[in-house]
Amino acid sequence: MIEVEHLSKIYGSTTAITDVTFSVEPGEILGFLGPNGAGKTTTMRILAGYLPASSGTAKIAGYDVHDHSLLVRQRIGYLPETPPLYPEMTVEGFLHFVARIKGVSSGDRSTKVTAAINRCNLEDKRRVIIRKLSKGYRQRVGIAQAIVHDPPAIILDEPTVGLDPRQIIEVRNLIKSLAGTHTIILSTHILPEVSMTCSRVAIINRGQIVATNTPENLMTQLTGGAGYELEIGGETALAKQMLQNISGVSSVELMPNHQQLLENHTCLRVILQPGIDPGKEITAALIRAEFDLYEMRRINATLEDVFLELTTAEKNSPTEITSEIAEGEIV
Amino acid sequence: MGIVIANIIAIYRRELQSYFVSPLAYGIASTFWFLSGLFFVMILLGPEGILVTVSSYDLQGQQLGVPAPAIDVPYEFVRAFLDRMGWLMLFILPILSMGLYAEERKRGTLELLATSPIANWAVAVGKLLGVLTFFLTMFLPLIALEAIAISSSNPPISPIIPLLGHLGLLLLAAAILSLGMFISSLTDSTILAAVLTFALVILLLFIDLIAKVIPGSIGEAISHLSLLKHYNTLIQGIFDTSGLILFASYIILGIFLTAQSIDALRFQRQ
Repeated sequence: MIEVEHLSKIYGSTTAITDVTFSVEPGEILGFLGPNGAGKTTTMRILAGYLPASSGTAKIAGYDVHDHSLLVRQRIGYLPETPPLYPEMTVEGFLHFVARIKGVSSGDRSTKVTAAINRCNLEDKRRVIIRKLSKGYRQRVGIAQAIVHDPPAIILDEPTVGLDPRQIIEVRNLIKSLAGTHTIILSTHILPEVSMTCSRVAIINRGQIVATNTPENLMTQLTGGAGYELEIGGETALAKQMLQNISGVSSVELMPNHQQLLENHTCLRVILQPGIDPGKEITAALIRAEFDLYEMRRINATLEDVFLELTTAEKNSPTEITSEIAEGEIV
Repeated sequence: MGIVIANIIAIYRRELQSYFVSPLAYGIASTFWFLSGLFFVMILLGPEGILVTVSSYDLQGQQLGVPAPAIDVPYEFVRAFLDRMGWLMLFILPILSMGLYAEERKRGTLELLATSPIANWAVAVGKLLGVLTFFLTMFLPLIALEAIAISSSNPPISPIIPLLGHLGLLLLAAAILSLGMFISSLTDSTILAAVLTFALVILLLFIDLIAKVIPGSIGEAISHLSLLKHYNTLIQGIFDTSGLILFASYIILGIFLTAQSIDALRFQRQ
């Protein structure tokens, strides 16, 4: 549905994105994840036909976004970084206006506007002037304008920015409800958003795609899965040595003492090999060797770890990381 | 084609709507009404107004026993009034046109328009028609005033003269607004747009003064670009195609440049 190949964008002397390649299958939600300034908005703008690419191609529904701009624009809904709203209009009036310029026929207009209002939970604000709406509601009106003409492809640039936690959940559910019938690409720098809403993730850093995969695969493949955090008392070096010998443990590291532990207490992080959970063996071994065990906490690798690993390691050795991910890549 | 017209109407309606809820637009309208009303009364009834002048001619004629010079009062009145209106346009119109695109850019709504299946020129045409309609609405009460004044003249004035004069005013306004729209599309600062439009309009009004200094056919060619020269011809009741073509060219040029600048801006935007 959305195919992006070798896309690059250069502004004067600065390169915003380099050789970005990914694709989104029909009905899928792709999360476009990256730190601020990584090139997310630039990519979104190129896809929406607002900016031309310096090189490379982007196709939506089989049409090139630059060569067949008008055909592409008929098929997309786009929420820019700042929702494009006319503050003096009412919510309903604005959505009618958008439906008109998106080419919705006059017969369908009322039904489609009502449907978008219902989907975005804006029923009570129908006749309210946009200027008087809170930021959360404005964001929802922004989403409503992107879906009002029922486009096959939807591009959302940071759709949950400025919303309160409750609204974030509502918007996520809204986006999820759109999947299947619509193809969605959403950009965000908020990690949980991606693991909760997206079926696939593309991580972008400094203008380059560093990974594309499902959120689950990224988590397991990159950090080698989960582990335990232990707070123990006794000879640390000995404990470390002993834990490392337990089968299923891939590494043990001493945690920096930032939790202000009591004297003689240390904190160890045990990273496990994927698929094996020797929790029982670890406790048994510690007790057998008469260590004091104060706390034992399970830790799950989060997308955050993956993200940090990818985006910070990138600075040192970009090739190493990309080759590592290449195995798990779907694209 | 039907879709393009529907799009233009959609843009037009939104643009027009925004003027009727904008405090700035009401501010402009009331200033305009105050000044134009003042001009109207001064030209008609003021100490140097047309009625006082004519009656003093009459008085002189009677005293000296020679017939007073024949003055077509309604004609002179319409001409003088529209002349002042032309000057007033210079200050009012840049303020009306300054927000056309600058405001859209500031709010980010240009991104919505640029990613909708609608041509840039159609947006520009819709916007120009919108602001022109607002201007006409603003001018309507003055036409009523003129109608009252002219209807009491005896013998009645030929309707073609005020008609041409007002057509001239409409074309002048459309030309200035169209160029102002282009300037507005270059910046996201409304103040800058207003100042630059003001400067451009002054240049186009006085260009025949500059042209006089330049000798030969170049000077003559430049003098034809003057907005005021062709406007003055029209308000004298002289139908002049070259003037109409010039105004139409400015209008189309403004729309064309606006569409181009929106396209070009998309290439440069950071």
